[in-house]
Parts: sequence; C-alpha cells; structure tokens
Amino acid sequence: MPQQRQFNPYSENGGTILAIAGADFAVVAGDTRQSEGYSIQTRYAPKVFRLTDKAVLAVNGFAADGNILVKTVKQRLEWYRHAHAKDMPLRAIARLIQTILYAKRFFPYYVYNILGGIEEDGTGAVYSFDPVGSYEREACRAAGAAQALVQPFLDNQIYFKNQKPKPGQSHPTHLPLDHVLSLVIDSFTSATERHIEVGDGLEIYVVLARGHSAQGLSNIPGAQEISQTDEGERVFVVRRDLKKD
Amino acid sequence: MSIMELNGGSVIAMVGKDCVAIASDLRLGNQALSISSNFQKIFPVTDRIYIGLPGLASDVATLRERFRLRVNMYTIKEERELEPETFAHLVSSTLYEKRFSPYFVEPVVAGLSKLPTSTPESPKFKPFICGTDLIGCLNFAKDFIVCGTASEKLFGVAEGLWEPDLEPEDLFETISQTLLNAVDRDAFSGWGAVVHVLTPDKVITRTLRGRMD
Repeated sequence: MPQQRQFNPYSENGGTILAIAGADFAVVAGDTRQSEGYSIQTRYAPKVFRLTDKAVLAVNGFAADGNILVKTVKQRLEWYRHAHAKDMPLRAIARLIQTILYAKRFFPYYVYNILGGIEEDGTGAVYSFDPVGSYEREACRAAGAAQALVQPFLDNQIYFKNQKPKPGQSHPTHLPLDHVLSLVIDSFTSATERHIEVGDGLEIYVVLARGHSAQGLSNIPGAQEISQTDEGERVFVVRRDLKKD
Repeated sequence: MSIMELNGGSVIAMVGKDCVAIASDLRLGNQALSISSNFQKIFPVTDRIYIGLPGLASDVATLRERFRLRVNMYTIKEERELEPETFAHLVSSTLYEKRFSPYFVEPVVAGLSKLPTSTPESPKFKPFICGTDLIGCLNFAKDFIVCGTASEKLFGVAEGLWEPDLEPEDLFETISQTLLNAVDRDAFSGWGAVVHVLTPDKVITRTLRGRMD
C-alpha cells in the first residue's frame, strides 16, 4: 500500500480585527481570543500592535505568521530610525508591509493586515492588506473570522450605504471619535454574540493627530495613554471585556 | 457546487411591538449568472401568516404548493383558522418526511398568533417568528431569524440594528436596512427586495429597489 504523509504549515486562529479612520484620528481594534478549531488556546493574545508614535498594526489569521510579521516590521522600522533619525511615515510603512508580504508570494504569511494611524499631512488613515500584499487606503475595514458580520454593518453606519440624507443635507465623510468608538464596541459585542471565535477581550488603539483633544475618550472608562510625541500625536489603548462563552 | 447556492437568495424575519416583519431579496440565479430580478420567495399562507422559502428554486415552487394543500386540508377538516405555531409544526413535519432526501429550502415563518384572551370584538395578537433548517428542525427565536446565502451578513447587521419593541414603521426601516446592507455584500443575493410588515389590522407590503448589481 502506498503511504502518504503531509505536513500542514498553516493553521487558522480565529478572531477579528477592525479599523476606522477619522478626519484627524484612527481607531484600530481587535479581540483577544486565540483559538484553533473548537478549542480556545488563550483568552489574551493581542492582535493589535503599536509600531510607531503614529502607526498601529492589526494582524489576523495564522497567529504564528502574524507574530513573525510584526517582529519583522518592527525591526525594519528600527533600522529606518537608525538610518534616518525619524519614524517612518505611515504611507511608507504601508508600502514596506506590501514588499515584506509579497517577498513571500509563493509561501505567504497567512495573515490579513490592517494598518491605522496618522498620515504626514495629519489626516487619519487606514490601510488594509491581503495576505500577499495587495493594499488600499480606506475609511474603514473589518477582517478575520467575523468580517462577514461586521463589514456590512460598517457599510451602513460609516459609509451610510442604502441611506438617503435629508433634503439639502449630505452624509458626513468622517465621524467624531466618540461615535466611532461606540460603533467599534457595538460591532465587537455583536460579533461576539453570533461568532464562536470572537470574544474574551477587546483592545482598541486610538491614534490622535496633533491638536486633537482626547474629548471623545472621556466617556470611555479605562482609556490608557501609551505614548506621546513632542509634536503632539498621542496613542491611547482602551481594554474592555467581551463575553467569554 | 452547493445546492443552497445554486439559485441564491436570502430571507429575514423580525419581531416588533405587536407586529412582525418578513423580507427577502428578489434574485434568481444560476450559480453566478443572474436570471430574474422578480423571483418571489415569500408567500402568504393565511391573512396573518407569511412564509419565506430561500434555497433551491424548484423546491421553493414545490413546497409552496405542498403547504397550500396541507393548509387547505387543515382549514377544511378543523373548520377554523390556522395559527402560526401550528403552521410551523406543519412545515417541520413536511420537511422531516424527506429526512433522507430533503427539500433544499430553509423556511422562515412570520405571523401574528391569536391570544387566548382574544375575542371577536377585541382581537389580541402576539408576534411569532420561527425558522427551520432543511430537514425541519424548528428554531423559535424571540428577536430575528435569518436564512439563505447572506445569512452570516444578515446576522451581523441584524445583531447591530435590531432592538426590542419596534413600532411597525421603525421595524420596516430596521428590517429593510438590515436586508439591503447584507445582500450588498453577498454575490448570490440582491437585485431588489420585498418587505412585508404584519400588524393586527393590516399588512404593509413594499418593494425596494436597492443596488441592482
């Protein structure tokens, strides 16, 4: 009898990530559950990482690949700092991630990435990637296990799809921070309710451009400031519980 | 090739305050090719019961006729109007009869059931919705039921938009927005939609255009 053996280098670790860009801020969020099949490996495995004082990266898919990718990106950013004595701008980080991903075109990192932060012109930005590096700048994006649940909700609430503005009025292109944060929290509680791979904890990173007050964060309890630049960009993280069942 | 995805289509039902709503898209496809933008999947059973049948189009037609027959037989024999709960069990047993060669349809029932305290002078009704899988396993949800190729998307949006005790017009807006935004992210559903809102004294039926692509 012929025998076959196979090594499967990939696995899928569940979870969901989400990012929304405002006029002068960006919000990047992810749940903290890590699972394999029907088993929960840990209830706290962060999927969102601060790269610089104005860039945050969310990584979802195969956790092992994700962690190595974040490690590589962080190392390349350190080299950039040593060479140029400044942080890499957001759009350059986006292109860097594309080349890192495409370098492994024929043995890809099995991850979906969403990069959020502040552009050089001070606007909030979100870049989303596929596993081989194709990317696009957007106002909002959900990825991961509950993408199908969250993205159409965001289409409706962020892009106002299928909604007609009042006569003589128009839909806002960017929403205020407090509104965005409540949409993020609602998205994750909804996804937790209906998807078994989403839950346990929620980590929301908020990147504020210079001059943006932390007003919208005031009614969110437990917002913690992580870093602040001399120019005035600030990064906050909000940690919340999600249902654990 | 999935038989449930051969013709495409989705149905959703929601409970409101003394009212229920049921809505579906209008697409009929053959895999990725769209054939019709006016394929009805929701049918009236009585004045106060509607059934949605997303799934294989030929089974939709067969089951519609089968349910019509069995409901007529019930009404003649019992000499009284069929209640939604009874109809749900009729649907379930009809599907389970074909346990090992099933109809490829996941029905959704929406209706108003008569309360025991109801009298002909002052009728009182309780909203009722229920869904089943293709072999008739009943699901009596208290909030909403979703079925069809866009079910995952419908779950996400409905969970975000739905709230208890919506008045008929607010329920109409909620179910319409839920359906439209969900089918816009589904390649197998869309091409217009139809919404029915059942209230104790009337049924509001509206056809929505939505994105026709």
